[in-house]
Amino acid sequence: MLLVEDNELVTSALQILLESAGTRVSVAHTIAEAIGAANRDAPELVLLDLTLPDGDGLQLIEPLRVAGAKTFVALTGHDDAATRARCLQAGCVDVVVKPPRARELVEKMREWTGL
Amino acid sequence: MTLDASSSEARIELLEAQLKEAAVEIAELRARDALKTQFLANISHDLRTPLTAVITHAEILRDGILGDLAPRQLESIRGIISGGRQLLNQVGEILTYARGAANQLTLVLTTFSVRDILEDVSALNASLARKKQLHLGIQVSEDLPPIVADREKIAHIIGNLLGNAIEFTPAGGNVWIHASSASGEPVPSVLMEVGDTGVGIAPEHHDLIFREFAQVDSTPSRSHHGTGLGLTIARKLVELHGGRIWVESDIGRGSRFFFTIPLDQSEQSD
Repeated sequence: MLLVEDNELVTSALQILLESAGTRVSVAHTIAEAIGAANRDAPELVLLDLTLPDGDGLQLIEPLRVAGAKTFVALTGHDDAATRARCLQAGCVDVVVKPPRARELVEKMREWTGL
Repeated sequence: MTLDASSSEARIELLEAQLKEAAVEIAELRARDALKTQFLANISHDLRTPLTAVITHAEILRDGILGDLAPRQLESIRGIISGGRQLLNQVGEILTYARGAANQLTLVLTTFSVRDILEDVSALNASLARKKQLHLGIQVSEDLPPIVADREKIAHIIGNLLGNAIEFTPAGGNVWIHASSASGEPVPSVLMEVGDTGVGIAPEHHDLIFREFAQVDSTPSRSHHGTGLGLTIARKLVELHGGRIWVESDIGRGSRFFFTIPLDQSEQSD
């Protein structure tokens, strides 16, 4: 899977957590890095932050789908219905509000990837 | 005569100049206030990022993802998590306040049952109430129709009021939420009450408590903590819906907070 999040502190924590679910996790910190990573190796699942230094994370959905990515889940600090609706409309299957509950995220990971 | 006329003319000129000066000063102060509010919104959003890392790392340890911990270590990690989550809530309150002050809050309308939302909020607070051995009761009039409003914001209002009720009521007391049709409002509305048998609030403080950053006891040793924004936010969110909020209380006689919400927000003209 591909984790797209600009903050190193957050990626390091989420990487440990997501890998504990038995998945290999690549990390990208920007939209450009994410497109590069997906072109090298198309991810089954993409967990993407909404605010990235080079734009809105949701912009990534189209190019990453073209690159072969299947499932998208948004990662956001905004816990509100409007943000949720915007993410689902853009094609995400779920929205994770930061900080996620660790155990819950691991369980959901299995759900999203069908493991 | 001429002397009088010219001196009063001069006085008028002076006053006009002072008024102009004051208007410029007010505009500058307003601009600076808006900047500060925006800064508050930005900083509280940015604070969430490192907090996310702290909480996630602590939960990784708690859940044994990197190996099992000894009971005392687990206890300590749990302390980090509760502290982190409490801080996160407070940062969230500051963010909501700042957005409200900057008029950046908008309503997301859905139709929902009042009973459902009261049950949700009380379930979230049940363990806290149990810990203080408080009796927490809900009562909803049978004839109350579903309402069209911003569900999250209504839950936020009730949550803030209920949180206070629980915090300021000594062990063994009663805390309740009632909902019924409001009478005498300009538009059909629901009347909600969050009441308690707690310490109460002196009548001279009834207005003060809804103002920003106000806690009746603001000395550093005050026994109750928090951002002091809970009621200000509740008032803002009620007013955003076109309702009103007030309190009936006295020292030692408990408090009853009331607020009204129009039944159908989509019919409100704005």
